[in-house]
Amino acid sequence: MSDLDKAIETLRNCRPIPEAQVREICHKARELLIEDGNVVTVSAPVTICGDIHGQFHDLMELFRVGGQVPDTNYLFMGDFVDRGFYSLESFLLLLCLKVRYPDRMTLIRGNHESRQITTVYGFYDECLRKYGSANVWRYCCDIFDYLALGAIVLGASYTLPPPASPDIELEVRNANNSIMSNFQRHPNSINKIKEQDQSRQDEMMATNGAGEGSGSSPGKTGPPGSGASGYSSGSVGNPAGAVLCVHGGLSPLIDTVDKIRLLDRKQEVPHEGAMCDLLWSDPDEIDGWGLSPRGAGFLFGADIVKVFNHRNDLSLIARAHQLVMEGFKEMFDASIVTVWSAPNYCYRCGNVAAILELFEDNSGLGILSRSNGDANRSDGGPRGVLMENELAAPHLGPARRYRVFQAAPQDSRGMPAKKPVADYFL
Amino acid sequence: MAEANSPPKPDELYPIAVLIDELKHDDVLLRLNAIHRLPTIALALGDERTREELIPFLDESVEDEDEVLVALSEELGKFIEYVGGPEWGHVLLSPLENLAAIEEPVVRDKAVESLNKICAELSPEQVEQYFIPLTLRLSKADWFTSKVSGCGLYTAPYAKVSPGSQEQLRGAFNLLVRDETPMVRRQAATNMAKFVKEMPAAIVVQEMIPMFEHLAGDDQDSVRLLTVEILISIAEVVPKEQQSSHGVLLRSLRQLIEDKSWRVRYMIADRFEKIAKAVDEEVVSRDLVPAFVKLLKDNEAEVRTAIAGQIPGFCALVDRNTLLNDIMNHIEDLVSDSSQHVRAALGTQISGLAPILGKQETINNLLPMFLQMLKDEFPEVRLHIISKLELINQVIGIDLLSQSLLPAIVQLAEDKQWRVRLAIIEYIPLLASQLGVKFFDDKLSQLCMGWLGDTVFSIREAATTNLKKLTEVFGVDWASEAIIPKVMAMGGHPNYLYRMTTCFAITTLASVVSMDVIAKSILPMLEKLTADDIPNIRFNVSKTYGELIKVLRRLPDQGTIYTLEQAGAPFSPSPRGQQLIEERIMPCLEKLQKDDDVDVRFFATTAAAEATAPGGGEPMNTSP
Repeated sequence: MSDLDKAIETLRNCRPIPEAQVREICHKARELLIEDGNVVTVSAPVTICGDIHGQFHDLMELFRVGGQVPDTNYLFMGDFVDRGFYSLESFLLLLCLKVRYPDRMTLIRGNHESRQITTVYGFYDECLRKYGSANVWRYCCDIFDYLALGAIVLGASYTLPPPASPDIELEVRNANNSIMSNFQRHPNSINKIKEQDQSRQDEMMATNGAGEGSGSSPGKTGPPGSGASGYSSGSVGNPAGAVLCVHGGLSPLIDTVDKIRLLDRKQEVPHEGAMCDLLWSDPDEIDGWGLSPRGAGFLFGADIVKVFNHRNDLSLIARAHQLVMEGFKEMFDASIVTVWSAPNYCYRCGNVAAILELFEDNSGLGILSRSNGDANRSDGGPRGVLMENELAAPHLGPARRYRVFQAAPQDSRGMPAKKPVADYFL
Repeated sequence: MAEANSPPKPDELYPIAVLIDELKHDDVLLRLNAIHRLPTIALALGDERTREELIPFLDESVEDEDEVLVALSEELGKFIEYVGGPEWGHVLLSPLENLAAIEEPVVRDKAVESLNKICAELSPEQVEQYFIPLTLRLSKADWFTSKVSGCGLYTAPYAKVSPGSQEQLRGAFNLLVRDETPMVRRQAATNMAKFVKEMPAAIVVQEMIPMFEHLAGDDQDSVRLLTVEILISIAEVVPKEQQSSHGVLLRSLRQLIEDKSWRVRYMIADRFEKIAKAVDEEVVSRDLVPAFVKLLKDNEAEVRTAIAGQIPGFCALVDRNTLLNDIMNHIEDLVSDSSQHVRAALGTQISGLAPILGKQETINNLLPMFLQMLKDEFPEVRLHIISKLELINQVIGIDLLSQSLLPAIVQLAEDKQWRVRLAIIEYIPLLASQLGVKFFDDKLSQLCMGWLGDTVFSIREAATTNLKKLTEVFGVDWASEAIIPKVMAMGGHPNYLYRMTTCFAITTLASVVSMDVIAKSILPMLEKLTADDIPNIRFNVSKTYGELIKVLRRLPDQGTIYTLEQAGAPFSPSPRGQQLIEERIMPCLEKLQKDDDVDVRFFATTAAAEATAPGGGEPMNTSP
């Protein structure tokens, strides 16, 4: 067992690792993260998670529900630290997993991944208490500066742009976006394909798309307090597009994803500007842009999201940043979703949490090999070739599935379930 | 003594000088650090200088941040070895006495703790000469903080000193019990339970019972609730046959049970079994049974929750008729209690009644309650009942249990709460072994396979473990017909998380399947999965290959690792296993070792190393 595996094991038991090791791991992590662009590319299938906020035992519950790393691919949308009692263990565990399995784990930056915010909301104090010095906090903050600002998930549905001409049913492209092969509409199969297109389209359009599988009732949000999953079958946006993941939301200074790529992210989160907005903004039922009550970032309305999604060929924006009692909330005709992964937030809010699973493309198309961090990690060639019989296969799974879960029960938290009675009374 | 060691050179003393300076530093963190290094300083100074210079210095440093003082109190408790051993232990008392008078409770508590630690090492003469006067000084101080500390310093010296001093201690304690501030009385009450245990019954009866009576009649409920522990201590010290002659005890007990403050009743309810064990049987049947019923019907949910926790413990102490006639119907009322916490507490405890009631009464009384609680809307209640089914099973037998509970279990197998489902899964192998193959195939098989496709990862994982246990029960032939095809079918699921279940299941099942099953069913499926689009599947296939290699290196032609190990007979591996590894597994692993994905390459290489590892006969670890 390597030192890193041992560190992961220690952290999984919610025990901190020595300061020297934190330093070493942060060093490794920086080497990995420095290679990443501001917007990392992630291929489906992946499970997207929202705020964790140092609720370590609930993070373990999340893994119990969603599957363990490396078996399940995860994308965490920031706010790992502050407020909860175990920011340090939670963040270091996620960071260790990132270093150990870079292709299975993606971490992006939240507004709490900042020196200024962590000094106020608990992470700084926690490091000081657990190590007696602020060194570990400093190492972590240095890593925060290298975290990506967003992620693009490809391959979740049709990853490729819609066919250029009506005669071409589908194109297969490789990672360089050059066309590998075209599938012409075939007179014999055209009806079949149309039918399938229709059914897919129906599913996309339906506000209450029927979910595949275990027969739980479909709905936009999971019933509060249940362990049931919710389904949604896609948005009216561009169904073939990618999914953008970002902690907060959009910025008036950013009209294309490529503009995010141009930012200089290796710095403390500024008080204003595009980088700040991405981490601080919230969607709201307004037209256009509005002032945010948070004092940083903006509020943005449905029209902004639609234009942005259209321009950037996105089918969905997944973001976190706001507490949602039901764990997730889709807005603006399901063109943006808030995912919240800290159940019973601050150990008192009584909310449930959710994670969002984006599946691999059933037709076997567009599986791009990832190359997070390491340029020579993969050759980037497409793996699947579309076969006609596969096209006709009746697998039309929901485009997304939400897993709703509750806070870990007391006895799995490793602290006394009941306070000694005397303390309670006196 | 310092002269005995050669005097340290000045430069050796330099770090010590720095530490001593740091004891006075402006920065709290540095002072705190220096306090924790006190043993180092003391060692460098030597015993004598520690006693004559360091301790007096510390004596004067009680004007500091609480955090520093807590650390100081703690360090002083471990300081005996640095001042020259127990014969000099008393020099530590003076700084600790100052610390015990500080306003901050945390500091005082630590100081008292350290004082008691030191007291344990002192000789009787030292205790008489130094410790007892300290206790008395603190107890008679003007300010209540010192008195509160004083309350904690009676038990430790008591056994060490002469009867005269003991009497003096009791006298001083009596004053604390009657102190005018409730803080002191509370502390006295807290410590009295332990203090009483140090004395013979006669003295307890003569002197302590009146003190107890005084506290039990206190006008503050926060004092009264503490007397429940004293009552138990007294009842444990005074022999049961003498108890009846001390009406005071009984009277106080009745008063406490009927107390108007729920917090006092809560304490009684919470300690009910302990009380019942400490008093004689007559009191149990005459006083405690009605009291128990009364508490079961208490207005406060907290009290009912506490008493629900005492049900099996107390019911074991009363006779059967009383239990059935006077108590059971009141317990039944709790099943539909308005508070979910009461029902949850009942859920954890109610199964404990089964062994007490015996088979027939369990069927008559408990089963209906179970059925109702299994339908409770609060998941914790359902969970508690299921996790304790084993106890009932032992009493009434699985047949009856399954007949009456099976419908409820099947319903719970699809419970919305995944932890409830998990509890059910863990119960399935036991149920299966008792019910037999046919019944299982009819009623439960569908459920078990359904769990393989559960939405929650932990359930899918538990489902594979469940299949392994079922195979252990029903044998490999059954498994290859009933389980393997379904497991293999999961490998074709469109979602990678479900396809992965096949890999997990094969890994878990490896030790309970035979060579034929591996060759004919498992390997073809894995070969198909090696070409899966998703790297996560490919590296899990690699992991699974690693497990299979371990099994194949030991597996004979007939039977499974599990059955052969159970039989205890030695067995030798079949050459066919090695052949399968070389012809069917290694080519796949070689391909996977050249995979695009780094994790696939890693796990494939790890698995391939398994095949070439020396000594194939070592006991294998079946858990993944």
